[in-house]
Amino acid sequence: MGLENNPLSTSEPSPFLTTKLDFVVNWARRNSLWPMPFGTACCAIEMMASAASNYDLARFGMERMSFSPRQADVLICAGRVPYKLAPVLRRIWDQMMQPKWCVSMGACASSGGVFDAYSMVQGIDTIVPVDVYIPGCPPRPEALIYGLMMVQEKIRGESLANHQDLRAEDPLAAGRPHADDEEVADLSGPFGNSTHQNRMSGLVETAAVARPGDRLP
Amino acid sequence: MSAASEPPAAAPDFDLVSLGPSGQRDARAPRATGSEAPHLNPSVAALRERFPGAVLGNRVAAGDEDVVYVDSSRIVEVLRWLREDPDQHYDHLADVTAVDYGGGRPIEVVYQLWSIPRRAALRLKCELSLDALEIDSATAIWEGANWLEREVYDMYGVEFRSHPDMRRILMPDGYAEGHPLRKDFPLRGRFSRAEQTRRSLTRNPEDHYAPGEIGGREPQLVSPRDEDADGDPER
Repeated sequence: MGLENNPLSTSEPSPFLTTKLDFVVNWARRNSLWPMPFGTACCAIEMMASAASNYDLARFGMERMSFSPRQADVLICAGRVPYKLAPVLRRIWDQMMQPKWCVSMGACASSGGVFDAYSMVQGIDTIVPVDVYIPGCPPRPEALIYGLMMVQEKIRGESLANHQDLRAEDPLAAGRPHADDEEVADLSGPFGNSTHQNRMSGLVETAAVARPGDRLP
Repeated sequence: MSAASEPPAAAPDFDLVSLGPSGQRDARAPRATGSEAPHLNPSVAALRERFPGAVLGNRVAAGDEDVVYVDSSRIVEVLRWLREDPDQHYDHLADVTAVDYGGGRPIEVVYQLWSIPRRAALRLKCELSLDALEIDSATAIWEGANWLEREVYDMYGVEFRSHPDMRRILMPDGYAEGHPLRKDFPLRGRFSRAEQTRRSLTRNPEDHYAPGEIGGREPQLVSPRDEDADGDPER
C-alpha cells in the first residue's frame, strides 16, 4: 500500500490510494477480531482480566466479547473441557461463520493438562481445529494477548487465492471429531503414575502402588 | 544435644503402603457392636435404645465423629426419627455420599447429619453388598437429598428406591462406561479415547435435558396480537 503521486498532476497529493486486495481484507479481519469466550475454568479468569482495563484487549481490535457464536471470529477455549461439554464446544464452532479461528488457552484445553482422567477431553484439537495454543496454567493476560497477536500474524499471511483451502468446510464434518482415531489413541499412551490404571495394563484391581521414591523425605 | 545421642530415624514402613486401602482399613478404630460401645454423642445411645435391631454398630472416627452403622432396609425410618424427634432434631442433611473400599467389600452409603439448633453432627452408614446396590431414598424426608442421591447413583451405581428422578447427574445421560468412583473403574475410563470422543460428539444434550436444565427457558409463544390486546398504545 502506498500513497501514489497523482499521474495527472505533479504538484497536488493524490486523493486516492492503491493497494492489494489481500492486504486490505486481512487488515480488516485482523483488526476486528471478535472473540467468542468459551471459558470453563480458571483460564477464563485470566481472559476476563485481559479484557479489563489493565490489559485492555480492545486495543487489538477485540473490542467486543461476542457471546453469540454467529457474530464471533475467534473462539477462545479457556479451561478444561469434559466429554460432556465436547458436543457443546463442537456446536459453537460449527455455528461460527467463516472466516473463523480458534485459540486453545492453557494446558487443559491444549492437552488435557493434569486431568488425564475418564471425564476429560485430551486436547480440544480432537474436537475442533486449533490455530494457536497458549501454554500456561493458567496463562497470564500477556500470554493470551500474545497468542491473539499470533492469530493476527497468521491472518496477515493469508490470501484470498487459497481461500478454498483455508476456509472451506465440509457440512458432513459438522459435529464430528476433528482428529482421527489413531491420532486420539496417541494421546492416551502410558503416562506417569497411572500405568497401573490404564487399559493397556489390563487393569482388574486398583490397589495403591508402593513407590518408595515417593515416600522418602 | 549431639546428633549421635538421637535415636536413628525409623525407616519408612513400605509394607503398610503396599497394603493399600485394606491395610488402612484394618488399622482404624474397631466397630463396636455392644451397647457399651464408646461414643461421644448422646444420640448414639438414644438410637440404640429406640432401634435395637436396626443399629448394627458404631465407632468414633477421627477423634470426635460418631459413626453409626444402620441396617440399610430401615434407614428411612431411622432418618425420619432423627429428624422429627424433639430430642434429636437433626434438621439438616449435610451430605449423602458413598465409599467403595475395593476388593469386593460392600459399598457404604454415608449420611452426614447436622442439627442446627443443637449444633451436633452425626454420621450414619449403610453397607450394601455389591450384588444388591439398592436402598430407600431419603427424598421424602429431605428434598435436598434428591441431587445428592443422584450423584451417589452416578458415581457408585447405588439405586435409590422411590426416588423421584433417578438418573445420572454429573456424567452425561447415556454414559455407558459404568460408575466412575468404583474401585474397579479404570482411571481413564473403559473405552478408548477415540471411542470416548466419538460417543461424546454423537450425544445431543437436548435429548436428555429439559430446557431449564441447560440454561434455556421453556419455549413461550407470545403473538403480537396478544400484546396489542392489553391496550398499550405504543404497540
